[in-house]
Amino acid sequence: MRSIKYCARCVMPETKPDLFIDGDGVCSACRNYERRGAVDWDRRRQELQTILERYRSKSGENYDCVVPVSGGKDSHFQTIRLLELGMNPLAVTATTDHLSAIGRRNIENLKKQGVDYIEVTTNPLVRRKINRLALAQVGDISWPEHVTIFTIPVRIAVQLGIPLIVWGENPQNEYGGPAGAAADNVLTRRWLEEFGGLLGLRVSDLVGREGLEPRHLIQYTYPSDEALRRVGVTGLFLGYYVPWDGYSNALYAQAHGFETYPQPVEGALVNYENLDNAQTGIHDYFKFLKYGFGRATDLACLHVRRGRLVRADAVKLVRMHDGKFPWVYLGTPIEEIVRSIDMTLDDFIRVCDRFTNKKLFECDARGNLVKDRDGNLTKINYDNP
Amino acid sequence: MPKIRVMPTLLFKDVGLVKGVAFDSWRRVGSAMQAVKVYNMREVDELVYLDITATSDGRPPDFETVDDLADECFMPLTVGGGVRTVEHVRRLLKVGADKVAINTAAVEQPALIREIADRFGSQCVVVSIDARRRPDGTYESYTHAGRRPVGKNPAALAKDAEAMGAGEVLLTSIDRDGTLQGYDVELTRLVCEAVSIPVIASGGAGTYAHMADVLREGRASAVAAASMYHFTEQTPLAAKQYLREAGFPVRL
Amino acid sequence: MKRVAVVDYGMGNLDSVGRAIEECGGRPIVTDRAAEIETATHIVLPGVGAFGDGIRNLRARGLDEILREHAVVGGIPFLGICLGMQLLGARGHEGGVTDGLGWIEGEVRRLEPAGQDQRVPHIGWNEVSFTRASPLFTGVAPGHDFYFVHSYHLVCRDKEDVLATTPYCGGFVSAAARGRIFGVQFHPEKSQRLGFQVLRNFLAV
Repeated sequence: MRSIKYCARCVMPETKPDLFIDGDGVCSACRNYERRGAVDWDRRRQELQTILERYRSKSGENYDCVVPVSGGKDSHFQTIRLLELGMNPLAVTATTDHLSAIGRRNIENLKKQGVDYIEVTTNPLVRRKINRLALAQVGDISWPEHVTIFTIPVRIAVQLGIPLIVWGENPQNEYGGPAGAAADNVLTRRWLEEFGGLLGLRVSDLVGREGLEPRHLIQYTYPSDEALRRVGVTGLFLGYYVPWDGYSNALYAQAHGFETYPQPVEGALVNYENLDNAQTGIHDYFKFLKYGFGRATDLACLHVRRGRLVRADAVKLVRMHDGKFPWVYLGTPIEEIVRSIDMTLDDFIRVCDRFTNKKLFECDARGNLVKDRDGNLTKINYDNP
Repeated sequence: MPKIRVMPTLLFKDVGLVKGVAFDSWRRVGSAMQAVKVYNMREVDELVYLDITATSDGRPPDFETVDDLADECFMPLTVGGGVRTVEHVRRLLKVGADKVAINTAAVEQPALIREIADRFGSQCVVVSIDARRRPDGTYESYTHAGRRPVGKNPAALAKDAEAMGAGEVLLTSIDRDGTLQGYDVELTRLVCEAVSIPVIASGGAGTYAHMADVLREGRASAVAAASMYHFTEQTPLAAKQYLREAGFPVRL
Repeated sequence: MKRVAVVDYGMGNLDSVGRAIEECGGRPIVTDRAAEIETATHIVLPGVGAFGDGIRNLRARGLDEILREHAVVGGIPFLGICLGMQLLGARGHEGGVTDGLGWIEGEVRRLEPAGQDQRVPHIGWNEVSFTRASPLFTGVAPGHDFYFVHSYHLVCRDKEDVLATTPYCGGFVSAAARGRIFGVQFHPEKSQRLGFQVLRNFLAV
């Protein structure tokens, strides 16, 4: 049985989609981060100013841009930074699947930074069907959330005639990905499909299942190219124009009233992100089952790259926290979460096993996954030999 | 009449699905289970699943993975990669494959095709031919995932395989693969005219029009694609709708 | 719960058929033992391979007799799929002439191309048109596609045994039946929605 290869610098495994490990054993995400040193941030800041100026509403009768937000640390940073740059943004939220109390408080805090705010909540009865379908069919309970995070702000932009959408981070810059994407900072439909992590499942696949019809899926529908062209909708990633760092964003946000969780969130290493959706624990767990890395790995890598954690310590922390069965997330027990999408715990565990890539985990002589008392799996190796 | 088949191809490398360009620059594109389930949801005509490093790793086919995937697959499944013996075929059929694709073994052990066809029937033997265009416009066939030239052109190879009892040809243009620039129509036509068994065109599909071209001019019986489905918003269903409008018989 | 004996005679896509039966609400029991076939509510004979091997493997396990006893005599509903359907014939002409089970009079012959670009093996989706009503096709509209992958077909001697035909290679019998013995040339376990409808219909017999 072959072993999993890890980046020699951070602790990301090669099994992550769109990640390359080069001849020196260093992954593409680390290399991308390396390139940051060569970036002329002053120039990028000027480019940003130019773009913002180009799209600012001349008459002042419309917003200068849409800023998609969730209430999290990055949303706070994006919003505050845009306000500091003299923009009049319209904050738009696509409500998460299972909004937590702290998530709601942080949304209220974001509004208080001084923005007009629109929140679009999809039909919860439809939503839970989609959560369940997506979990069973593609092993991602958060699929509908990932769709609406893109579609809802873009739909608002079209409907209100606001051409510029300011996203936060370009996932390809920090998390690695083909150079082509990292060089392109504008959000086109093609980009969405290729890198937006839509997992191959499309809104059209849902029609006809469990009574779902197009009329239930309006908010999940991306506007047509024609509508986008008419308004001239474009998007940019703030993370391309400023040296993006989730932790600095957290500090900045906290100083502006953003509330963190009393302890590190389950399965992660920190208390300042992914605080708004109780289903995120399941989402992260499935990443682990499919690809052998979870949220703890993501975070450890981010901090290792920035010199805040040494690799050996990162390996240890990942071993301790990554990929544990999500019995509780943000204090919500899993039974409650799966019940809210009309599944039993047994159903859920069956789906977990179905999507587990057995090649990455220890199995017994009969080929069954080895689980400890708490249902946790063990990877075949947690580091390079 | 038999319908034109539109099928996605899944390429499996080590632990998960990949997609490449010209059989190189492999990019991880995600979980095989997920892809199988999505295509099953979409009720595609057929699914082709190839383990691209089995032969170079010197491994037999991964029966366990195929078994797991086939459990979720209620459409016809062709499985290839590392198939070298009759026993391999028997096991793959048992765990859920409907047809078995043979590439390197078809060239190195041509008698194997005969053995398999005699035992299980021609209809379950797919000879998988990978080809590159030479500068002079002729074609060369390759084994070992495109690395070793055979010294025989694909039409001749296909003919020999047919004579040995192969029931179908999966013809892939290495040059076009992953480029989204269109199938190699000429290559397809050469092979289709050389044999009387069905030929599946593969390698290069980027648009539905490309599919129509290779069906019309290349005379293929089926069209396979991978990058097109992984990286664009195009789907097998929309492909069939386009093809129907273009006058081809499809299952809708 | 329908107990469906899926006959294991060393040839066939047992797993696929089993999974499909499960999806259709039956409980598949892959077996070659008389005791299990006897207590089944339904019997399915899958088959991938050559006629000669198929009948030899059945005989070697005594299954030809066991199945006759329970399906033909005992009346347990029986479904032969692909080679499983062909074996119901009296004689097969693949690689020499061999006697089949003989439950449906007919010869198994090779498909002969009847027009330009008709390629054999017949692989893919093709229409199934009914020649008479049958519980097997309840809820299935005529002319819809099922999945075929074969080079041989059963030529029924008696028209009454023919349930459905498919227009290819001059037209061939795609479904046949005598009493509660059914045979389908296509693969219902691979024909998705319509195939499952056929399986469900069979389980309701």
